[in-house]
Amino acid sequence: MPKILIVDDDQDFVSAVAIVLESAGYQVATAYSRDTGMQIFNQENPDVVVLDVMMQEPDDGFVMAQDLKKIRPEVPILMLTSVGQVTGMDFDKDEDLVPVEVFEQKPIMPGRLLERIRELLNK
Amino acid sequence: MPVIDRTQINEEIKALKAQYGQDRSALLPILQSFQEKYGYLPDIIMQETAHALGIHPVEVEGVASFYSFFRRKEPQGKYVLRLCKTISCDLAGKEKVARQLENELGIKFGETTKDKLFTLEYTNCLGMCDQGPALMVNDRLFAHVTPDKVPQIIADCRRGFIKSEFPKVVPSDVKKEGPILSHNLKAGDGLKSALNLSRSAVINLVRESGLKGRGGAGFPTAVKWQLAGAAQSDKKYVVCNADEGEPGTFKDRYLLYHHTDVMFDGMTIAAYAIGATQGFIYLRGEYLYMKKYLEETIEKRRAANLLGNNILGKEGFNFDIQIRLGAGAYVCGEETALIESLEGYRGEPRNRPPFPVDTGFQKHPTIVNNVETFIDAALICAKGAKWFNEHGTEKSSGTKLFSVSGDCERPGIYELPFGITIAQLLKEVGGENAKAVQIGGASGKCVARQDFDRTIAFEDISSGGSIITFGPDTDMLKVAINFMEFFVEESCGQCTPCRDGNPKLLEGLKLLERGRCSMTYLNELMRLGETIQLASKCGLGQSSPNAFLSILANFKSEILGRVPEKE
Repeated sequence: MPKILIVDDDQDFVSAVAIVLESAGYQVATAYSRDTGMQIFNQENPDVVVLDVMMQEPDDGFVMAQDLKKIRPEVPILMLTSVGQVTGMDFDKDEDLVPVEVFEQKPIMPGRLLERIRELLNK
Repeated sequence: MPVIDRTQINEEIKALKAQYGQDRSALLPILQSFQEKYGYLPDIIMQETAHALGIHPVEVEGVASFYSFFRRKEPQGKYVLRLCKTISCDLAGKEKVARQLENELGIKFGETTKDKLFTLEYTNCLGMCDQGPALMVNDRLFAHVTPDKVPQIIADCRRGFIKSEFPKVVPSDVKKEGPILSHNLKAGDGLKSALNLSRSAVINLVRESGLKGRGGAGFPTAVKWQLAGAAQSDKKYVVCNADEGEPGTFKDRYLLYHHTDVMFDGMTIAAYAIGATQGFIYLRGEYLYMKKYLEETIEKRRAANLLGNNILGKEGFNFDIQIRLGAGAYVCGEETALIESLEGYRGEPRNRPPFPVDTGFQKHPTIVNNVETFIDAALICAKGAKWFNEHGTEKSSGTKLFSVSGDCERPGIYELPFGITIAQLLKEVGGENAKAVQIGGASGKCVARQDFDRTIAFEDISSGGSIITFGPDTDMLKVAINFMEFFVEESCGQCTPCRDGNPKLLEGLKLLERGRCSMTYLNELMRLGETIQLASKCGLGQSSPNAFLSILANFKSEILGRVPEKE
């Protein structure tokens, strides 16, 4: 089964998403920071990355997405964040600065999350 | 009283709107233009301006009453003499100059001579702290003013000679250069390097350098740029905060004159990185004399395609810069207050979130960076991240420009690495015998001798660059009073702790001066100071009692043991 890497500093959220993805039969790897996320990405070779924006630094998710695309540009990234609600900021994908395939706002319904993951895997 | 022709006013407003914009953001430039022309803002001008901008006259009145450079009722004199009253000029003998000015003109501060030739005012920090006492006559600066220089200055004004002596360059005393000040770059060098990179690569380079904002707060520059770059909007803005109003700071005045092109390069690089098309320099009103020079430089850069459309051949990269003048409000150094001021409002800080990187000037993503930060960014693009971060500490990379004034042998501008101890800095400037050092200006901390082994760095004592040294004979109560008078005057009045709390602290200090403050009341005032730190809305309010609290903590016995002055 495809492997999904979840990177988010909210450990409860990571657990919840991991349960949803594992229930759907996916393998799951997790990380709670950008640095560990990069290490696990290199070790586990995931097929999709689910990535938060604000972690230790407010822009960690954007930076990690840029770094991931330098290593394996073919791995799709689903950016899942509540940054808009927390800060009032309006972000979306951008080829250079926010190089992700899908940009979704938290909270997300499990059905929608699984649908988006399936779309990314079928691309 | 001048005769004011309504038709002519409207023609002038029309022309100013064409220059500064059709919306409310043109309000301050319009008022500044009329203030200069008439010496005050008559009601009819405020009404016509309101009508032209589609706002209520009360809004215009509200703005005019907020900024200290606007006068609403009585016209100012032909020559407005502004004497700096902040602590560095005070230590340098401002009192004697003030007395001589009053004697010479026969008026008190705040008054205008009967012949309407002179207005005498105090002002907060002219950015000449190493060359005080400083006096500004209209847009001309005088440094090292002594009482015997005063009659000549007044006589020159009477002869109308002063206007022709407009200085091109204000003297600056750089005492120590480091990698930043000795860069040897030409206009466009940093920008060319940046344009060879992608936008994300420019931001990553700044990130690798570890550059943090040089205004004092120390927010990582790359994070700000990344967030603004990622924000969605059809318009984005780059703002250079040149509202150097912190008492004891004057390094931006020097940088704006002597490293102008590198600073513009830095702004243009930021614009490229975040995708901005318009930039502003928010220049403090006291630096009016630089405006012409900066505009000439902008014009040269347009001619050299360093500004304008398709900059340096980069298809689709269009960016230009306008200069906007402040009007005498310290709080406008706070980035959201600055943006309010740019938009033509009272300079009152905003609630955050939303942040300027997403909701800044006219609700568009905006980055606001200090003059020094833009210069550092341009140099990093030209010379690399490693060149920059091999100086300083792990958490505070690079060098920092310090404006040193007060009781020391060698006041001036110093470029020193972050992580330097206060004792090392004092040795460098010839201030080893200081009993205290004010780090970070009025909003900073007063550090006493027992803490001179502490370092100046974001992880220890943070500073925007202001260093004021106090010699062994300095009356620390007078210092505290000076700082509190500053904050009482400069509070924007928006939130209660700062607006009403600081006058109470000042009142308490005046009681101490007269030997009429009980220990119980003093302790209550210290608790009030802590409340102001916690409960104020913006950085200015939160830091306003810092000097009061740190001076009382360090010099309590000196202050309490002081012999009161006779009433």
